[in-house]
Amino acid sequence: MNIAENLKKVRDENQEWLELRYHHRDSLKLQVKNGSLTDSISTTLSGVAVRALVNGSWGFVSTSDLTLEGLRKAADEAIKAAREAGSIKENRIQGLAEIEPVQGRFDLGEEDHNSREEPDLAGKIKLLMEADAEIRKAGEDITASQIAYSEIKDRKIIVTYEGTEVEIIDPKCDIGVVAFGERENQQERAHTSHGVTGSWVKLFAERTLSDLADKAVELVRKRLEADYVSGGQYQVILDPALVGVLAHEAIGHTVEADFVESGSVVQGRIGERVASELVTLVDEGNIADAAGRVIVDDEGVKTSRTTIIEGGVLKNYLHNRESALKFETKPGGNARAFTYRDEPLIRMTNTYILPGESDLDEMIAGIADGFFLKGLAQGGQADSTAEFMFDVLEAYRIEEGKIGKPVKGLTLSGQAFEVLKSVDAVSSDFEFGLGRGYCGKGQAAKVDAGGPYLCCRVMIGGQQ
Amino acid sequence: MMTDKQDKSLSWQKGKDEELKGQELCQSLVAEGTSTGLDDIEVYYQQLKSLEVVIEKNDLQLPKSDNYQGVGIRVFKNGSMGFASTNDLDQNSLKMLLEQAAVMAENYPPDRNNRLANPEKLERVPDIYDERADNIQLGDLIARARSFMEEIKEDERVTVDTAGFSATIATDAIATSRGIKSQDSQTYFETQAMALAREEDEVSSFDIEYQVSCFFESLDVAESGRSLRDKVVASLGAETVDSFRGEILLTPFSAVMLLVSPLIYAVNSENVQDGISPWKGKKGKQVADKKLTVIDDGTLPGGVGSGKFDREGLPQNRLEVIKDGYLQELMYNTYTAARAGRKSNGRAGGGAQNAPDIAPSNFMIAGGQQTSQELIGEIKRGLVVNRYSGSVDPVSGDFSGVVKGGQLIEQGERVKPVREVMISGNIYQMMQNIAGLSREREDIMNFKLPYILLEDVAITGK
Repeated sequence: MNIAENLKKVRDENQEWLELRYHHRDSLKLQVKNGSLTDSISTTLSGVAVRALVNGSWGFVSTSDLTLEGLRKAADEAIKAAREAGSIKENRIQGLAEIEPVQGRFDLGEEDHNSREEPDLAGKIKLLMEADAEIRKAGEDITASQIAYSEIKDRKIIVTYEGTEVEIIDPKCDIGVVAFGERENQQERAHTSHGVTGSWVKLFAERTLSDLADKAVELVRKRLEADYVSGGQYQVILDPALVGVLAHEAIGHTVEADFVESGSVVQGRIGERVASELVTLVDEGNIADAAGRVIVDDEGVKTSRTTIIEGGVLKNYLHNRESALKFETKPGGNARAFTYRDEPLIRMTNTYILPGESDLDEMIAGIADGFFLKGLAQGGQADSTAEFMFDVLEAYRIEEGKIGKPVKGLTLSGQAFEVLKSVDAVSSDFEFGLGRGYCGKGQAAKVDAGGPYLCCRVMIGGQQ
Repeated sequence: MMTDKQDKSLSWQKGKDEELKGQELCQSLVAEGTSTGLDDIEVYYQQLKSLEVVIEKNDLQLPKSDNYQGVGIRVFKNGSMGFASTNDLDQNSLKMLLEQAAVMAENYPPDRNNRLANPEKLERVPDIYDERADNIQLGDLIARARSFMEEIKEDERVTVDTAGFSATIATDAIATSRGIKSQDSQTYFETQAMALAREEDEVSSFDIEYQVSCFFESLDVAESGRSLRDKVVASLGAETVDSFRGEILLTPFSAVMLLVSPLIYAVNSENVQDGISPWKGKKGKQVADKKLTVIDDGTLPGGVGSGKFDREGLPQNRLEVIKDGYLQELMYNTYTAARAGRKSNGRAGGGAQNAPDIAPSNFMIAGGQQTSQELIGEIKRGLVVNRYSGSVDPVSGDFSGVVKGGQLIEQGERVKPVREVMISGNIYQMMQNIAGLSREREDIMNFKLPYILLEDVAITGK
């Protein structure tokens, strides 16, 4: 009997609310460093997650035993765990938001599955090695190089109590390129990256490996020549990548319903003005090619576009089925689990600010004393208070409306909603920019985020 | 499992067939792989049985159980290496896995440093297996979660965002064509919690509490709840401060990200060989203040990073990394050791799902003479940094980030909690001027760290 039949059988044998998710993942990781292949890893991770909702509580069991017996045992344990937890849970789960059961097969990479240009393993390694060599050939100031490629091919089958029966095929891949440089005993590094839902061919459709390598070299050289700056409050322009980080990390997490319930800064503030009227921010799963693409989530809910902020006014939070019922709304398909060993959590997909009408050059010309900030250097962090701190990959001084010298060691911080309130111009450009970014919330999730260029006020941390 | 008690007991022989399943699986795959004409093969097995109870929003959210078993195979042929792993352990899948590893090797450019280690004597580390672990049920963890929450609920302003109480039994086994074969088991128990406090419109910053031990009874969850509650309440009413240069006292938790992670990067032999460590060519030279001594010890009794062998089957050992500020030794695995023309010192890290990398075991910074309270007493004007939310560039050492749960100290006295305050500087430079290290140390994951007082840090407020 095949796995789908076994899942349905176990569901049908039990009276209790059950959700069974088979998740098979084949992944490939390749890493080239300084002319050597340092990682060449093929991994298979396969198993079933069983989630029970009994007695007002969840129970969750993950197993790699895919026999009918193994699945029955997992279901029994999940039901038992839920029952035991339910007996002491204070606020029992009242139910789940109703959904239309989804059935069928969804292939997220369908558009380029027939591509004949996808190189085989040897071909991929060769291309990565060539790009790696290209970085170190750039000059004596470039001391080291590193390229990491990873691909994930997921196949899921989700069967639920209400009758959802779906098969999901989800290929995602990403690339990261790092250049290291040295000048006068001072070392720097800079990276570029890109991620898509789809294949290798899709990944390099717009930017070739060589383009990414050139960009990394250019960035590290700028960092080598850049000076440190002193901190303070400044008028700045954020590029789509930083706007994406702000939208995801600093705003997006605060509107995840579980964080809202824990007392995030936007609790009870639906309908209030939280940003400049120029700002509209959404989360949307089903965007072709986008790295955070989801069509049906891990609770079997079809994704839709959730408007979080519209014209500066807070409109919606992000939900799973449990929170959607509590908040008397519909779930938008934001329940995601990274592997079969993970339970679905409220996660973002592709989160972005909609483009506006301003011209980037005019925005720059309007700044007397500020910075032009592009991309995230090492990482970003934010709290449910929406206070954030991001370090900047590429930064330039803006003086009297003109872009000046590159600067480095910059971080931007503040309270994200205060920053969005200070937005006085939104450009007409648009780009996703998280690159190979994963979101971490106890477990990983592939996400993307982006937007236009924004002009706003932030706190800059420097080192002078 | 191969624990002290079972090894010495009469019943050990009886349990052996079942208990050495991992090692036997590895050995049979090595035999099968060798027969296909590979030069060398290594099979690593890992089993993780875990139970966890998750608290969210001050209430029990999820009881979880997971049982993972997987193998990772490295094969070597003519200097090429391939790695493949799976958690599907049926005969057919394992046969395919061997083939997949061979395919990965065929496409690997030869590198003469790709090799396996030769066997050395392995010894078990005491006190890393709690016999009670096999009998622990979800109910035991639920009871822990309750006593933790009782402390939290003493103050209604406090909300636990998430907290996890987990129990894990980990079994690792390895066999190689060079004759290494062994198996080891360990238990560990963790409590991690994140909370905030709310008062009217004010929300405090998040703070974190973390405890880990190889023994279930060693964790004091009530103490953990009390400590977290007090920390988040103390950060209510926080204000920003004017910018100044002053001292910062890193708690063990904030030191992990700000100081320990760049330190581990800098002493990783691979980064040194690649020329991307700030301490390349510095072996035997002074790299830090004389107060800094760093030991990495994989044989520490009761250490969560302890074990019989590393990811390549070499014995764990005690390594003096930095002594009185002088860089003594880098961390090597077999590959980087071959590159350097020396022997590995047993720092191969990782599990069954990845090929070996380089990682510390129990990474410890030696404590100093004073207590953390005495160190605070020495601060003229500065901050206690409970948690650091920011970045550190391990190549240059530049860091810049926000202080969370920070307290302003003036003339040795706590003045007020602070918010929206950033600290920045260069961590490698600061390591050369450490003002003090506390006598008491805390365990954070596999690190054992004191409070660390650093001077002349740029503190940016309003």
